[in-house]
Amino acid sequence: MEFEQIYKTYWDRIFRLCMGFVNDYDIAQDLAQETFIIVWQKLDTFRNESAIGTWIFRIASNNCLRQIEKQKRFPKSDLPIHLSEEKQQSIEPQIQFLYKCIAELPETDRIIISLELEEVKQAEIAKIVGLSEANVRVKIHRIKEKLTQKFKENGKQ
Amino acid sequence: MENNNIDFKDLWKKQAVSQPNMEDLLERVSQFKKASLRSLWKTNIMLLATSAFIIFIWIYYQPQFISTKIGIVLVVLGMVVYLFVSNKLFGNYKDIDATQDNHEYLQKLVSIQKKQQFLQTNMMSLYFLMLTTGICLYMYEYASRMSILGASLTYGITLLWILFNWFYVRPKQIKKQQSKINSLIEKFEAVNHQLES
Repeated sequence: MEFEQIYKTYWDRIFRLCMGFVNDYDIAQDLAQETFIIVWQKLDTFRNESAIGTWIFRIASNNCLRQIEKQKRFPKSDLPIHLSEEKQQSIEPQIQFLYKCIAELPETDRIIISLELEEVKQAEIAKIVGLSEANVRVKIHRIKEKLTQKFKENGKQ
Repeated sequence: MENNNIDFKDLWKKQAVSQPNMEDLLERVSQFKKASLRSLWKTNIMLLATSAFIIFIWIYYQPQFISTKIGIVLVVLGMVVYLFVSNKLFGNYKDIDATQDNHEYLQKLVSIQKKQQFLQTNMMSLYFLMLTTGICLYMYEYASRMSILGASLTYGITLLWILFNWFYVRPKQIKKQQSKINSLIEKFEAVNHQLES
């Protein structure tokens, strides 16, 4: 598969995964770009052992996990104030709320639910995250319950 | 919002996305490459320049004593070891395989941090020791030509400076690095633990 084709096919999906992880438009954009830089560098080592999607999602989710380290290095207050708030204002509040809830989950749950919402097969999610399929199924069920609960509480206010 | 069946998938996909030009991305690739190369050059050039300066002294002043020569070799060697280790640490991060699953990747991150922790502490001490021994040996030839007062002043001041670094600067530096790495290790392990429950 050509890089350009991969880029066009996967950009949106990778961006949403990153957005679910950090819930910050600019950081997500950066993380997605970093992901594609790695993809670009490693593409010739891809050997069709897994589906290309699994491979790319692994890189993307690992890169999100690396974000933890960068957060330590640059405390949030040191970062320039993001202009993304303006952009987010125009988005439907429900979408915003969904991403906010997901970004508040434990790190690996964020990745799992993002992949599920991206309609990645549970067997593939298991391969990306490194859990058994049964475990993934249970986790997804629990996360969805949690999200539904949060949406209900939000609706009542 | 009352029902139980909120269509999360539908909401999820409505997130606004803007796909940057691929040219912009490739531009960033080359910037990224340049930046990492630059940072590598900075440390190496600094250390290499110092070593070159010392070698220049060797050739230009033609020291007579073997102690002076051993001293010079120790100082240069100390720097080379330091340089080698810091380059190796730099390489560690680049070589980490980003295509393994999250569980393996997190384990790898933890192990790299631990290795880094070990190297930083031990290498720093080794670097200090080699530098100290080297400087003391190096100074001997010149101090031996001084009066006793001059020689003890030269050694006294140098050793005081080294002791200050060893007992004050070094532990402070190590502590700073350690607390940073420790909190990272803790965090990575906690995240990895989420996958073990």
